[in-house]
Amino acid sequence: MLSVKHLSKRFGAQVAVDDLSFEVPAGQIVGFLGPNGAGKTTTLRMLTGMTQPTGGTATVCGFDVLSQTIEVKQRIGFVPESGAVYESLTGLEFLEMIAALYGIPQETARPRIEQFISFFDLSMDTLKNKMLGAYSKGMRRKVVITSALLHNPPVVFFDEPLEGLDANASVGFKTLIQTLAHEGKTIIYSSHILDVVERVCDRVIIIDKGKLLVDGPADELVAAHNSGTLERLFIQLTGGEQLERRAEDFAKTFLP
Amino acid sequence: MSAIPAKTKAAPAATTLRRLFLTVFLRGHTSRGLSKETVPRSVGQKLALTLLLYAALSLVALIFIGRPVFALSAYLHAMTFLFLGMFVTVSAGEMLFNKEESDVLMHRPVTSKDLLWAKIGVLTQVSLWIAGAANLAGFFVGVGAEDGGWLFPIVHALSTGVEALLCTGCVVLTYQLCLRWFGRERLENLMTTMQVLVMVAMTVGSQLMSREVATLQAIASADLKVWWMFLVPPAWFAGLDDAVAGSHAPSSAAMGAIGILATGLVLWFAFTKLAESYQTGLQAMSEAPAPRPERPRRLEWLNRLAAGGLVRRALKSPVERAGFILTIAYLLRDRDVKLRVYPGIAPIFAMPAIIMLNGHGGKGLAEFAAFGICFAGVFVALTPTLILDLLSYTQQWRAAEVFQIAPTRGPWALQRGAQLAVIAFPCLPMLAIFGVYVGIAQGPKNLLLLLPGVLSMPPYALMPALVGGAVPLSKPNEEAKSAGRSLKMMGAMLMAFVLAGFGSLAWYTGWFTYFLLAEAAMIALACWFADSVLRQVRWKPLD
Repeated sequence: MLSVKHLSKRFGAQVAVDDLSFEVPAGQIVGFLGPNGAGKTTTLRMLTGMTQPTGGTATVCGFDVLSQTIEVKQRIGFVPESGAVYESLTGLEFLEMIAALYGIPQETARPRIEQFISFFDLSMDTLKNKMLGAYSKGMRRKVVITSALLHNPPVVFFDEPLEGLDANASVGFKTLIQTLAHEGKTIIYSSHILDVVERVCDRVIIIDKGKLLVDGPADELVAAHNSGTLERLFIQLTGGEQLERRAEDFAKTFLP
Repeated sequence: MSAIPAKTKAAPAATTLRRLFLTVFLRGHTSRGLSKETVPRSVGQKLALTLLLYAALSLVALIFIGRPVFALSAYLHAMTFLFLGMFVTVSAGEMLFNKEESDVLMHRPVTSKDLLWAKIGVLTQVSLWIAGAANLAGFFVGVGAEDGGWLFPIVHALSTGVEALLCTGCVVLTYQLCLRWFGRERLENLMTTMQVLVMVAMTVGSQLMSREVATLQAIASADLKVWWMFLVPPAWFAGLDDAVAGSHAPSSAAMGAIGILATGLVLWFAFTKLAESYQTGLQAMSEAPAPRPERPRRLEWLNRLAAGGLVRRALKSPVERAGFILTIAYLLRDRDVKLRVYPGIAPIFAMPAIIMLNGHGGKGLAEFAAFGICFAGVFVALTPTLILDLLSYTQQWRAAEVFQIAPTRGPWALQRGAQLAVIAFPCLPMLAIFGVYVGIAQGPKNLLLLLPGVLSMPPYALMPALVGGAVPLSKPNEEAKSAGRSLKMMGAMLMAFVLAGFGSLAWYTGWFTYFLLAEAAMIALACWFADSVLRQVRWKPLD
């Protein structure tokens, strides 16, 4: 469903993604992890056709992200970390506009939107009459998630999807993506909340400085590195132990 | 639900995008928690007021009743070119390259060509509204022109439409070329530079054109077509009007042909040949910038300047100095602020230059020369008002909460730092440039004529805070598109005219020293009063 081969991205002399390769079959949830600046978002942007790779290839549902960008975009959903929306549109205007871009007629789009707002506990009145700029962060995130799933794409990319969602919505969302995967959808889930990744994902990919560090089921990786938890494994692989010590030293400087 | 929906009754992507961009343009990119009913008032109604203002300004065309079509049309197209140029230049940057927008649209199944055409469509549509308003009276005046007739409104409407396309095309072409030749690293600075240059060229060109036409309008239409008019876009479209609905002169037809040819070429280059690079540009805007080691060094000099004796003496508290640094940093670095401020102030610097040059070449009009210098000084002194007003608006307005969370009672210290910053940069350097010109061209003694302007800078800098409660970087951009601001600026310009008039009168009557003393005393009093009022202002509650 998703195939990445030797994917690279350079910004001038800076290498953001370096020779990244992996495959994801249909129905799998993959946790895509890495410290800040590891190249996760750049990779997701390349796979969603938002940025052109400087090397390598990637295909989504058999379509090349570089040469068949529109075909790829028709088959993916993406929840970007920024959660950007047009703030001066109402939630309903925004979602109907997005639906129209995927060729979904209004009479088909409306029931789908209603399904999502009912799932996310949003009120139709708010969606119709309030500008997105007035929504809370969580409400806005729900609208963005809806906009990514509205056209029922076979592959969905999530970049920090839980940001702003309350505990109840987060639980609901986790169940939703597991159900979507059971129905055969491929989910790429990028997040810093490692315990959620550990519980939800079938497989974990950790990258750092643009390079792939490990790739496999979370429990197997944890056992192989003798880490105990995914969080310890992540810290072990990405040099977080040093940061822990530095944080302790730094905190001590504030003590009288 | 099927994975890929059948495209049956949904509107085509291009139509959806155009509707979207027009809605977003009229409502603004961000809203401050407003409901659907109230948001359009923020921009749409202000645009309507601006259109009304332009329609009122179009009444100036009445002075061309009974004159040749070419003279009327040249005036109308020069004004239209100025208004459209200003609108397209200021709006195009934000509309064509909106950073946040890429996260909403770039992963959707739309082509860069669809995006580009939809945006151009909206720019052209609003341009046509502006052009229609600015030419409203002109359409009727043309019917009663010396060689005009019923055909004029139709032909003029068409030529104005082509002119709107040329304006939009030129700006888009400029962006595309900058992107292609200079790459994304330098695009943002180049975008600003190009906008400022376009704005200055538009202002200077339109001024020269309308002045030339006003001077020569009494002469027969054929004499108006001096050689350089073949190089000026408004003259091309005036030629088109004249060739079809006026004198039918061959030279007019030649000008019209040049206009149509130039528009065709620009559109072909901008929308066909270079459309591919638009996607590259959009991607570049959304990509994380490569590290630039020279950047931190640029702020070092600013920190040193703020810590230096002169600024430290003028701005006693650290909050005032922080306001000073913040303002200059945004004026130098922030793309959004630069695109708003520099094209906005370009005409202010261009206008006095034109008047000074006219005065210099005035062949015996010594009074006018003195007025020109004095006016230049006072006009440049207006700049802090405009900059501080424009500086209130930013895409990052939410960050202004930082000011309110900080332990400050009100915005006074921040405003004071910002006021000094805009006087230090770019107003004083600009005044110094005028000073050098005056010193060389008119003699050092005439430098004194710039003093009324220098003295009036502090009250002009206080005005936005006093009248509009302006706090730097605290409001969303949409609130900047205000006809009210234009009216305030017109008032300030009127005051500049009056001050320059009295200044030059005092110069010739030998009362200049007394005039300066009186001005200084009044300004000191006004500043003391304004400062006392502003110190008492407290933060408004957060939205």
